[in-house]
Amino acid sequence: MEAAPVSTAAMEAAVFEAVSTVCDPEYPEITIAELGILERVTANGDSSAVRIELVPTMLGCPALDVIADDVTAAARSACVGSDVSVEVVFVAEPVWTPDRIAPGAVSFLAREYSVAVRRSHSDRAVPTATCPICGNDALEHRSDFGPTPCRSVEWCPSCRNPIEVVGRVEFPAAIGAAQASPAAAGTAQVSAASA
Amino acid sequence: MTDSAPANMPGAREVVLALADDELCIGQNLAWWIAVGPFLEEDLALTSISQDELGHARALYGLLGDDIDALAYGRQPHEYRSAHLTELPCRDWGETLVRHFLYDTAETVRWAALTNSSWEALGAVARRALAEERSHLRHASGLLSRLLRTEEGRSQLLPLFDRFTPLACELFELPPGCSHDALLADGVMNRSMSDQRAEWQGAVDEAVASAGYQPQWPADSANAAAASGRAGQRSAHFAALHAEMVEVLSIDPSAVW
Repeated sequence: MEAAPVSTAAMEAAVFEAVSTVCDPEYPEITIAELGILERVTANGDSSAVRIELVPTMLGCPALDVIADDVTAAARSACVGSDVSVEVVFVAEPVWTPDRIAPGAVSFLAREYSVAVRRSHSDRAVPTATCPICGNDALEHRSDFGPTPCRSVEWCPSCRNPIEVVGRVEFPAAIGAAQASPAAAGTAQVSAASA
Repeated sequence: MTDSAPANMPGAREVVLALADDELCIGQNLAWWIAVGPFLEEDLALTSISQDELGHARALYGLLGDDIDALAYGRQPHEYRSAHLTELPCRDWGETLVRHFLYDTAETVRWAALTNSSWEALGAVARRALAEERSHLRHASGLLSRLLRTEEGRSQLLPLFDRFTPLACELFELPPGCSHDALLADGVMNRSMSDQRAEWQGAVDEAVASAGYQPQWPADSANAAAASGRAGQRSAHFAALHAEMVEVLSIDPSAVW
């Protein structure tokens, strides 16, 4: 069956909606959109190719390939019946920070996984986390390195629990402030998975 | 569709390949510490840093071509450009710590010189990687400064500086055929390697000065002559390291990262 012509905007919207539902391999109830990993979807003028840009939490995240495969599959499912080439790329910019995680996902991580998220606060100089167990917001840093590259380890002196925190203390310390202004996003591809 | 080095930037690809090979070798060597670190947090730290460095290698190889596996694993030994420091096994934790400090201090300087590269994609990778390096340096410097306050730490760690610094200088050498002047004129990097090396030596000097120590630095000329890793000559440790890297691929050539 011949597929009906699809406008670029309609295709971008359809693919964005489809890949938005892809879940993180580590937290299967949370989508890559909620985690701030999904950056944007662009289709070319005749809707024959679609490009999905993802922002890696860390360049060395071992889940990148799994996420790219899942995103490719989801994009294909949104383009059934049409001969569209799908390209999934991880871009180096913008830099992912835990502030990209949606508030609802932050609450979910705290409630269901007892995992905290290092967030920026207008009244604090550096991003900090709140104890997901007792609500104490004065956690003590233990190590920048935890169970995954994007998680560090802190200690809650109030409820005396070790706490996993998404985001390292030094990461990413206001990148761009001390460095040259970033290049336009989209030119900063770090790896590609074409299908 | 990689944004490959513009053809009008001679030497840029060779520089990226050398940096990528450094990251690959150091990442692979650090991975050895999984489950055998001196304490649990150190286990996690070294292997997390290993993952980061392999991720940086991947990003750099990705600038050179789409087949990252072929670049990382598929070359002949003489086609690698890694500095010999990164090929050292360092199975003693003190050795690993001193090498880690020298390397990550060097990396911080090297990435910074690339953050506004005229090769846009390289600049973006450098900015991204530099953000991750801060935690590496914080880890290495923190442990080093604490251990150098003890007699045992000084007696074990300081002699390693004299052993490793001549090798570490190769981190600021360019592969043969790369012209410094061209790389600077084209804006691939914004500082000469000798300027970068001077900043790095200053940081290393400062870190050990509190312990009353002054590393012996080789002269620039001696350093250039010792840049055999950049020229394609592999150290005695490379064969075993490479065999370990390609162990899975040699069983299943279709395996991917």
